[in-house]
Amino acid sequence: MTSASLPAQTTRKSRPAWMTPSTLAVVIPSVLVLAALVVCALFAQWLAPYDPLDQDLIASLQGPSAAHWLGTDDLGRDVLSRLIYGSRIAVIAAVEATSLAVLIGVPIGLFIGYRGGWWDRLTMRLVEAIVSIPGIMVAIVIIAILGTGLHRAMFALGILYSTAFLRLARSVVLTEREEVYAKSARVIGASPTRILVRHIFLNIAPPLIVQVTLTVGAVLLAEAGLSFIGIGVQPPQASWGTMLNTAASYMELNPFLAVPPGLAIVATVLAVNLLGDVLRDSIGRGIRVPAAPSTAPARVRTAPSRPLPPRADDMLRVEGLEVMVSPKGGAEVPVVTDMSFRIARGETLGLVGESGSGKTVTGLALMGLIGAGGRITGGRVTLDGTDLLGLSKAGLEKVRGNDVAMVFQDPTTSLNPAYTVGNQISEVLRVKQGLSRRAAWDRTVELIDRVGIPRATERAQAYPHELSGGMAQRIAIARALSCGPKLLIADEPTTALDVTVQQEILDLFRDLQDEFGMAMLFVTHDLAVAADVCDRIAVMYCGEIVETAPVDDLFANPRHPYTSGLLSAMPHGASGTPPLPVIPGSVPTPGHWPEGCRFAARCPHVTEACAAPVPLSGDARLIRCVRADELVLEAAQ
Amino acid sequence: MTRLIGQRLLAMVPLLLIVSFLTFSLTALLPGDPADLILGDRATAEQYEMVHERLGLDQPFLVRYVQWLEGAVRGDLGTSFFNSVRVVDAVVQRMPATLSLTLASVLISVVVGLGAGVAAALRPRSWIDRLATFGATIGQAIPNFWFGLILVSVFAVALNWFPATGYVPFKDSPGQWLRSITLPALALGLSTSAAIARQVRSAMVGVLQQDYIRAARAQGLSALRVTFKHALKNALVPVITVLSFQVTVLLGGALIVEQVFAINGIGSLAIAAVRQQDIPMIQGIVLVLVLVVMLVQLVTDILYGLINPKARPS
Repeated sequence: MTSASLPAQTTRKSRPAWMTPSTLAVVIPSVLVLAALVVCALFAQWLAPYDPLDQDLIASLQGPSAAHWLGTDDLGRDVLSRLIYGSRIAVIAAVEATSLAVLIGVPIGLFIGYRGGWWDRLTMRLVEAIVSIPGIMVAIVIIAILGTGLHRAMFALGILYSTAFLRLARSVVLTEREEVYAKSARVIGASPTRILVRHIFLNIAPPLIVQVTLTVGAVLLAEAGLSFIGIGVQPPQASWGTMLNTAASYMELNPFLAVPPGLAIVATVLAVNLLGDVLRDSIGRGIRVPAAPSTAPARVRTAPSRPLPPRADDMLRVEGLEVMVSPKGGAEVPVVTDMSFRIARGETLGLVGESGSGKTVTGLALMGLIGAGGRITGGRVTLDGTDLLGLSKAGLEKVRGNDVAMVFQDPTTSLNPAYTVGNQISEVLRVKQGLSRRAAWDRTVELIDRVGIPRATERAQAYPHELSGGMAQRIAIARALSCGPKLLIADEPTTALDVTVQQEILDLFRDLQDEFGMAMLFVTHDLAVAADVCDRIAVMYCGEIVETAPVDDLFANPRHPYTSGLLSAMPHGASGTPPLPVIPGSVPTPGHWPEGCRFAARCPHVTEACAAPVPLSGDARLIRCVRADELVLEAAQ
Repeated sequence: MTRLIGQRLLAMVPLLLIVSFLTFSLTALLPGDPADLILGDRATAEQYEMVHERLGLDQPFLVRYVQWLEGAVRGDLGTSFFNSVRVVDAVVQRMPATLSLTLASVLISVVVGLGAGVAAALRPRSWIDRLATFGATIGQAIPNFWFGLILVSVFAVALNWFPATGYVPFKDSPGQWLRSITLPALALGLSTSAAIARQVRSAMVGVLQQDYIRAARAQGLSALRVTFKHALKNALVPVITVLSFQVTVLLGGALIVEQVFAINGIGSLAIAAVRQQDIPMIQGIVLVLVLVVMLVQLVTDILYGLINPKARPS
């Protein structure tokens, strides 16, 4: 990557996810809350101003005062002291129930995962049965057997939550098992069991830690709930749950009683959950995330090309289009600059370039669909006399579908999986053309038939996943053409398809264009495909057009060194000898484009003049090269 | 669809068998002699024998299980140890309150969760998103019964808009029923709303980046239509899964929230049964609760099939 040459990037290294400011804002308070909890639990005797069980019936149900900062309860006991002692119960509860859950769940999970078979099936059925009973009810039943009290209740919760650890340990064994046995088949001599044990211990830790935080939060809530309904911690012992139980009885006399223990529970559970979220995110992301570049590359300078002379048969005119995008956390970078081309009625223009050259963005920009991360910063787009960039949101919405339509690369993802294909076409007809349900459906079936799908009536009822890729792409084409658009943008419409299907789809495009007479912008990385369907080709490199020419002229006589490079890299026949020449070097990414000719670094014909911005020049053909008139370049064989 | 329902109903049978066996094993695990509980301190040996015979305790464990199971299939779950109330009658009498509380909170969580989740997903990183995410995180940390207490002190004690306690059956007065169920359902629905909001947000953000959303926009369909027709239906698929799990959580939570609002539902029945070690009652309650959970899962499975065509048997 060329990023190493940018001092701004080399100074900023990637750092652990939990170190980012927004994460620290969550982590620091959470850790403080939990630290305070542990300190209270350990040093309750010294921190609490009163004995939590000391009664003072004369001073009962008082509000906060200097003597009792958080007031007193029904028996005149100091609420603050009880709260501090309650934190001890919370810590004991969390530690007891969680460690018990781990100690029961993990070994059994490891065992049944390793052993498999009958043991596994029986245990998993049992787990399924336990999980289908509401958790509190399971705890209640276990308490019915064991009796009430903190430790017994925590034992009950430990058993309840052990199912989660059991399933986790089991799934880790099953995943690692596949991997280890696949590997050890090739490494003779190592005992697979030994490798498996090592693998499991390495891989179980991250999900286990996350599950522990989840469990601690759940245990704290469940302990409070059980104590609240009187079958967990028993009075007079002070736990946050029993304090709330007392508070519930005196809601009308002193509603404040419910506030301190409630807030203590919320703060503790929140802290644990937030830490869990951070852990899960950092584990999920592989701990380290690269920092986004902090400084923007300077805005690129371009030499604006001469305006294209207007012609009577122009359907689409794009002049000086410029698009910028903002990568996450970074500054705006240009991805398309000085983009100018025209398409006549019934004509097909191929937009050819490597991935990342800005061809797809250009197509989306014409439709006003770049998305939140980008914007059009200059230029004009005129469709049949209408200025598209000047349209309001509603105006643009009206144009889409009716006047411009688009076919996307992957038909399996561009059709909505939740609706039948017929529904997706007829919806467009109803919304855009105001057809009745009946008429829209009839027209839908006609269209499906027209794009060459047999048994159209039946297929209209199919869901996208029930169709093959080629079939789905035909549906996408039918939908795009449903309103008879003036311009069809096809974005790599055959790239995701089977080679045998590609040609059929290309033929379909040609047929349909003859019938519907629309102009077509055909975006592709494949020169051979472009040669097949297009009248003219515009070659793109680094966000700009480097050459535009009729197909035959381009192939016979490329005038830009990049076009020539692309042509000689095209495979011909099956011989494979001599090896295909490749263009040396790699495409600079947006934000790292040189100021002058963007191809200069890879060009065999580079001169000093290439360091300045180059405009498109020429009459019948447009070329962006200072040496366009003197070079004799290699054509297609 | 009928086949799917039939299959699911059949699949419930083994699970119910396991649960029934687990809960029935309780009798064997419980310390002490149930006859002590019934007879008290001063009982003769004959009385013990009579009680043992009546309860079938002189029979081997497995025989008793099979007898109990036969009864359960016929809708007879035995009789309480403490009064001659039939367990089925007690459960059926208490169930409507618990079920209506659970259902009302499901409704609240779906409405609140969907609203907050969609609003957050439409503008990621906006203040709405931050507010919803923050609210959802807090909501999952608040104990439902404490939230209930707060609601009571504000809306019942201070403002007197709702009754603080009690439950009015729907058939007695729909209006009073709604008033009596509102605060408990809000208290119970809070954490599930939060869970659903989180799920909807992440599912929606994912779906809105899909190609088919952009393709629908490219066809000139409005943002509103694309969001609420095309995106939402897809985002609901994972939400249904969460909801199916959350109904179990809500049903358990209802047992506790009922105590805050003095609602005579399954919760107080279960707590009393546990305190008295009323085994037939506990067994009956667990079995019925599991049956309810399974029926809910059946409904969510059907919903899942309706929303996600890929899950339908072809």
